[in-house]
Amino acid sequence: MAVRVPAAITLVRDRVLAGRPRLRPRSRHATRLVALLAVLGPGLIAANAGNDAGGIATYASVGAKYGYDLLWMMVVITVSLIVVQEMAARMGAVTGKGLAELIREQYGVRWALFSTVSVLLANLGICISEFVGIGAALNLAGVPFQVSVPIAAVVVWLLVVRGSYKVAERVFVLMTIPFFAYPIAAILAHPNWGSVGKAIVAPHVQLNSAYLFLFIATAGTTITPFMQLYVQSAVVEKGLGPEDLKTERAEVISGSIFANLIAMFIIIATGATLFVHGDHTVNNAADAARALKPFAGRFAEALFAVGLLGASLLAAAILPVTAAYVIAETFGFEKGISHRPREAPVFVGVITTLIAIGTLVAIIPGVPVIKLLVGVQVVNGVLLPITLFFVWRLASSRELMGEYANGHTFNLLAGATVLATSTLSLLLLGVTFSGL
Amino acid sequence: MLHLSLIVGGELRDRSGGKIGRVDDLIVRLGEDEYPPVTGLLATVAGRQVFVPADEVEEIDHGRVALRSVRLDLQPFRRRAQEVLLKKDVLDRQLINVDGARLVRSNEIEIARLGGWYRVVGVDVGLRGLLRRLVPRPFAETVGASEFLDWASVEPFTGHVPTVRLRVPHPKLARLHPAQLADLVEAASHHEGEEIIKAVGEDPELEADVFEELESHHQLEFLEERSDEQVAEVLARMEADDAADLVTEMPEERREDVVELLPAVQRRRVRALLGYDAATAGGLMSPEFVCVYAQATQAEVLERIRNSHSSAEALAWIYVMNARKRLTGAVALADLLRADPELRIGEIAGVPQRVRPDADLEEVARLMTDYDLTVVPVVDEQERLLGVITVDDLLELVLPKGWRRRFGVLGED
Repeated sequence: MAVRVPAAITLVRDRVLAGRPRLRPRSRHATRLVALLAVLGPGLIAANAGNDAGGIATYASVGAKYGYDLLWMMVVITVSLIVVQEMAARMGAVTGKGLAELIREQYGVRWALFSTVSVLLANLGICISEFVGIGAALNLAGVPFQVSVPIAAVVVWLLVVRGSYKVAERVFVLMTIPFFAYPIAAILAHPNWGSVGKAIVAPHVQLNSAYLFLFIATAGTTITPFMQLYVQSAVVEKGLGPEDLKTERAEVISGSIFANLIAMFIIIATGATLFVHGDHTVNNAADAARALKPFAGRFAEALFAVGLLGASLLAAAILPVTAAYVIAETFGFEKGISHRPREAPVFVGVITTLIAIGTLVAIIPGVPVIKLLVGVQVVNGVLLPITLFFVWRLASSRELMGEYANGHTFNLLAGATVLATSTLSLLLLGVTFSGL
Repeated sequence: MLHLSLIVGGELRDRSGGKIGRVDDLIVRLGEDEYPPVTGLLATVAGRQVFVPADEVEEIDHGRVALRSVRLDLQPFRRRAQEVLLKKDVLDRQLINVDGARLVRSNEIEIARLGGWYRVVGVDVGLRGLLRRLVPRPFAETVGASEFLDWASVEPFTGHVPTVRLRVPHPKLARLHPAQLADLVEAASHHEGEEIIKAVGEDPELEADVFEELESHHQLEFLEERSDEQVAEVLARMEADDAADLVTEMPEERREDVVELLPAVQRRRVRALLGYDAATAGGLMSPEFVCVYAQATQAEVLERIRNSHSSAEALAWIYVMNARKRLTGAVALADLLRADPELRIGEIAGVPQRVRPDADLEEVARLMTDYDLTVVPVVDEQERLLGVITVDDLLELVLPKGWRRRFGVLGED
């Protein structure tokens, strides 16, 4: 009576039964590995989506212009990033609601709408730059961007619209693997590790406007509003609760540290090559890859391109999803990566629109991407202080968070972080405006 | 028809029409009435927030609330049971639309004079309600009312309101099917889901039904905070196979304690089921069936069926065994009913199709399709009947994901 089941069907069945209990336990090692991988998620993805095309360009030019001088700052920024990301993730786990939802419930519809529109604009802008980044990365391998960008767009769209949250999250986590290209590129660049170490522990400040501008731009690209919004909404969709706080906190912290380590390796890679050889200008991430070639070899260029591709793909998925979460939360539409278009038309519609516009603009020649990014910076510069303020206030509200509200000391640290980051963000805004 | 957004922020006027303060919020009492009455309002008078009881209010209108008296007795607001603030506690928050069995967010609250007093009559979840609150006040008046949800089909969450917690029943939820309730619980945040389950918990049978429908990680989410006794109470009312599935999902250190607390019958069934892999016939089968000796008469068998507590699906087929308890036959319930009362059941029973506990689901599904069965018996090596798989349990697993969600209310993976 036994029927031979084709392998494909077995696979499908395992999918279908993924949620069903399995009585024969997996081996101990496998279980531990699976447990570790299962924990990786919102925090890692949110922080690493920040190492996108724009981020890489910024880090690369930090290294090219000032060598290792700004490395110490990455340590400070990492701490700040951890502080805000942890608050957002904690709010998601405790309240089960996204940030946009909480803003609407606690601060009213006007603030919610303001944030929503800003996020939509900013994310659309960044999304365009990600598709430009994908095109540029594959262009280094000789693929014309008119081919690569639409294909990438379809892949990203299928992943976030057709997949379940679980599958999409796993793919997002895997998309951080290309980031390992940067440490390797940094090693290939033969930096003087002694000076790197010294630069990390000994702050080196220059008081000139170019230095300050890069300082502020780096802070701005490392801590971006979509990260808080994404991490909180993703924690909610993943179904994490207060009981998961300990592991989720560890996940957010390690994810943020990983993301910023990568940023530091990018700085080291260009600092050891471009800076040393006097090539101080890097316009974009693909430039950085190209510029590395003479000093660190063809392989380093390829590694930079791989990193850029992975980073851009990841961010090209995360930004539309974040915008869709925010809109759905603000207006009370059905939301979730697990939903199909029919069930969550608005959520899927926002994602589709952002990806479509991003793709179109990226393949139309002559669109001033740099000007566009400046515009994005302005919107984000306004949005970041507001988002951070809400995150800070909401996370410290006893009424909302109960026993999980910010403690006294932490709240001071958080307040200081929010204040410092917001000031930098507004400064960048001022510099951008006066510089135009 | 009045809109909350145009009342709040309006002037508070005394009898002579003089402005004495600003309206901050309206207070309504949930619970008994179909349309909750306004029981008072919060206002700022001379920089202090005060409570104005409903009996001092003459008229509520857009932009102004007129008082009955000239003098206002200034008293601070103290929440009474079942009272909520419309703006603070209901507006902009999630509500359950009971008729659609989905969650909605309230953009505007509609108030009308009904039966002599102001009452909440509905909730606007559309764009107009939102627009009215975004445009400047003079224009807001011109944004007309749109179709709104009748309050009679809306159930607000009150878990976040300090004193109302646990006191407001949610009677409208009883109109929903357990599967719809489970979908709502899964779509809501943890606290809101908890509120739905608490409300449903008034009826333990319904609560168990809802738990059967929940995804396993949601089942665990809501059982985590409960004591072993409470968990056992829920498990005792669930179908044995669903209960066994849930037990396997629980943390190892709790499993034994919880199973130990189950009533004897359920405990035996769950224990029996726990031995099988859930992806096989053994894991899917239910130990609820009727199996009789071949010598039993039709009348005796019908009596057994009458006294049985098994589900209707499982009783679509009656099984027959020989003296050594081996499965020898099966009779469809309808055929049994048509037979003569004196007839021995062994004479009408046909040879049953059956599977072993380790058979996979495809095999069971094929068997059901090939032989037009709604129930498949599962037997051990000695051909003794262990349990039955009903078509509803199997369909749940073999139906493509998209189908289930397409017709679900608020489907989720």
